[in-house]
Amino acid sequence: MFGWCGEILVVDLSSMEAKRVEADRELLYGYMGGRGLGVKVLHDEVSPSADPFSPENILVFAVGPLTGTRVYTSGRYAVVGKSPLTEGCFYSSSGGFFGASLKKAGLDALVVRGRAERPALLVVDDRDVEFRDAAWLWGKGTRETRKELRRELKGFSVACIGPAGENLVRYACILNDVSNAAGRGGLGAVMGSKRLKAIAVRGSREVEVADEDVLDELMDKARNRFIWNPVLSKALSYYGTSALVNVINEHGILPTKNFQQGYFSMAEEISGEALRERILVRKSSCFNCPVGCKRITRVGELEGEGPEYETIGALGSMLAIGSIEEVAEINYLCNDLGLDTISTGVTVACAVELSERGIIGEKFRWGDSERVKGLVVDVAYRRGLGDKLAEGSKRFAESIGGGEYAMHVKRLELAMYDPRGAFGQGLGYATANRGGCHLNPYMVAVEIFGVPHLMDRFSAAGKASIVAYLQNLSAAVDSMVLCKFTMFEFDDEMYARFLSAVTGVEFTQETVVTVGERIWNLERIYNLKAGIGEDRLPERLLTPMEEGVCAGRNIPLGEMLKEYYRVRGWSEDGKPRREKLESLGLEVET
Amino acid sequence: MTKVPSYVYEELRDYCSRMARRGYVTAHGGNASIRSGDVMWITRHASSLEDLKLSDVIQVYVDKHSGFEALASTETIVHREIYLRTPNLAVLHAHPPYSVALSLFIDELVPPDAEGNYVLKSVPVVGGKPGSEELAVNVAEALRRGQAVVVRNHGVFTAAKFTDVAYQYMCMVEHSAEIAYLSMMLEASGMKKKRPNL
Ligand code: SF4
Repeated sequence: MFGWCGEILVVDLSSMEAKRVEADRELLYGYMGGRGLGVKVLHDEVSPSADPFSPENILVFAVGPLTGTRVYTSGRYAVVGKSPLTEGCFYSSSGGFFGASLKKAGLDALVVRGRAERPALLVVDDRDVEFRDAAWLWGKGTRETRKELRRELKGFSVACIGPAGENLVRYACILNDVSNAAGRGGLGAVMGSKRLKAIAVRGSREVEVADEDVLDELMDKARNRFIWNPVLSKALSYYGTSALVNVINEHGILPTKNFQQGYFSMAEEISGEALRERILVRKSSCFNCPVGCKRITRVGELEGEGPEYETIGALGSMLAIGSIEEVAEINYLCNDLGLDTISTGVTVACAVELSERGIIGEKFRWGDSERVKGLVVDVAYRRGLGDKLAEGSKRFAESIGGGEYAMHVKRLELAMYDPRGAFGQGLGYATANRGGCHLNPYMVAVEIFGVPHLMDRFSAAGKASIVAYLQNLSAAVDSMVLCKFTMFEFDDEMYARFLSAVTGVEFTQETVVTVGERIWNLERIYNLKAGIGEDRLPERLLTPMEEGVCAGRNIPLGEMLKEYYRVRGWSEDGKPRREKLESLGLEVET
Repeated sequence: MTKVPSYVYEELRDYCSRMARRGYVTAHGGNASIRSGDVMWITRHASSLEDLKLSDVIQVYVDKHSGFEALASTETIVHREIYLRTPNLAVLHAHPPYSVALSLFIDELVPPDAEGNYVLKSVPVVGGKPGSEELAVNVAEALRRGQAVVVRNHGVFTAAKFTDVAYQYMCMVEHSAEIAYLSMMLEASGMKKKRPNL
């Protein structure tokens, strides 16, 4: 088999058994791999009503046909499970080298079931699988865990959780390699509920490619196109994602003080320019990526990865912290504790606003970075108020009667673009199966960067079709698996050509997008069955801003949703119609 | 938002639309910039020069990078290098067809027409991938010595103190290329060339 390995490793932590099973070809062709494969396995194995922390839930670490190949950005993996934060079907994707290592171990996916009796470490060394005791690692931060494991297991790529995952914080993440995070949705807490502290993988198998000559030609094209693209070769390469801070702020959509404003007067102090000037050590890259958007930074004695744009927004402007050094320190802390920085920042910002409004007794003020650091640790160990914040902004705010101040969609805290200045991004947030996610799709590319084409950010016209199309394409990209940043330059045709060259199976633009649409609809169906479906935005974001370049702009969400459901072939209340599902080959109960 | 001065926008819009009307750029090709001190205003990546909008003009710096380059033309690197190596204040880049076609066959365009020859003397043809450092240096070096340069298989860059003059050079290069092409055709058909009175 070219591209794919044709094997899945199924591990049951309850019985400490592991077996390799053949991957069904129809499953691979129909869902590609990565996110798609994981979602299909989750759909087939885990009831939508299952408790995410029960042994019934699973985690699927999946790679795709392009993983580990010469195709740029091919080191990523997707991890899929039922989210303890949204309670829906959730995938999270991460870079680094872990994905490529899984592939080299001859796997398309690793499915983790059950729950270990004691903390466990799973070691996959090519075809050998071993369960080891991890009690000695339990309680340690991700930094030390990875250090210890690197010392003990030479040449392995490690994915692990920190105290936040162990303590079932609903937005705990999984970190692999040099602080690459499968950040969103709390899948780190699912790993914690299974008492799986870490997974170490090493492999020696090369991925077989069907047509090396065609792949050579495509790589030549890709090289030129990456150089030609200003976002990839200039901004991301030079500054990393933090290049966005000033740009987004100038467009009036940098969420500030819990989305009360879209402009942060101290943005310059937390910008990519400040990061480069004051704390940059060097840039770094995931497996086989010429862009290198990652940043290794240093503040005093501390050295770490980041902060990236989303983190800068969530831990900086959202909390009115105007110092790149302070933001980096909180970022290092979150990484070590194993917390999703976006959900952490947004949840803490919600607490600060509730304190300011006198809804909670604890006293917080904006810009108090020391207090934030203390709170972040309390969240990870579920101490005091931190225990409530560990439940996520919606559960926390509603429990004390301040639900309207939780900035989330479907319980997932919103990412760092105020949709009042990017209407398509607003539709994306409202309809994303993950919830308040900025990557499904990343409409900022279209509405701010003009890639592939600039659309009027304050208009609803044509947005529904583009959002639906890009959501489908994103799902496909997450399933091949490549980095979403490739979408700044590649189109469906380029992806199809890569897939055909690597797998020897003929992919067309249409099949690529159809695979994405199938995945999207399956996720939607699962979420509807789990009781999650309301496509909405927080009330605050449906009220125009009073100041700034976006003042007076009102997102016509209802109008866009109507059009979106029509484009998707769904009912007027957003349910996939039977004919649509049949046309996608989905035989599922609705 | 950083305010783009209205005169900058008006001027860029005017000359971009003139180049488009002449068929020097197609759909989303070409780019243009104006320099003022340490700032340059450049057309947005993939903007349509036929109908430039205010939001299609992006402010970046001549002497340093900024995140806004993510929005700016891919050729920002070339414009910057021109401003760093020459005292020019305006740069135009287009893909006029005769110049691009001839660049596939020659290393230097010597304008056969009197006016072109008098003003431009010789226009070098250089290489380099779009958006690359190599292209930036090749173009900027050529513009240190002259007013225009053709990038093989790609297009023409011109630079001057005034946008109007850069535009004039652009038109001249293409006019000279067209004359050169027509002359070659006539010669190929058997006609004998007279010695031009340059
Ligand atoms: S662009 Fe950045 S996140 Fe994507 S693969 Fe490259 S280094 Fe990793």
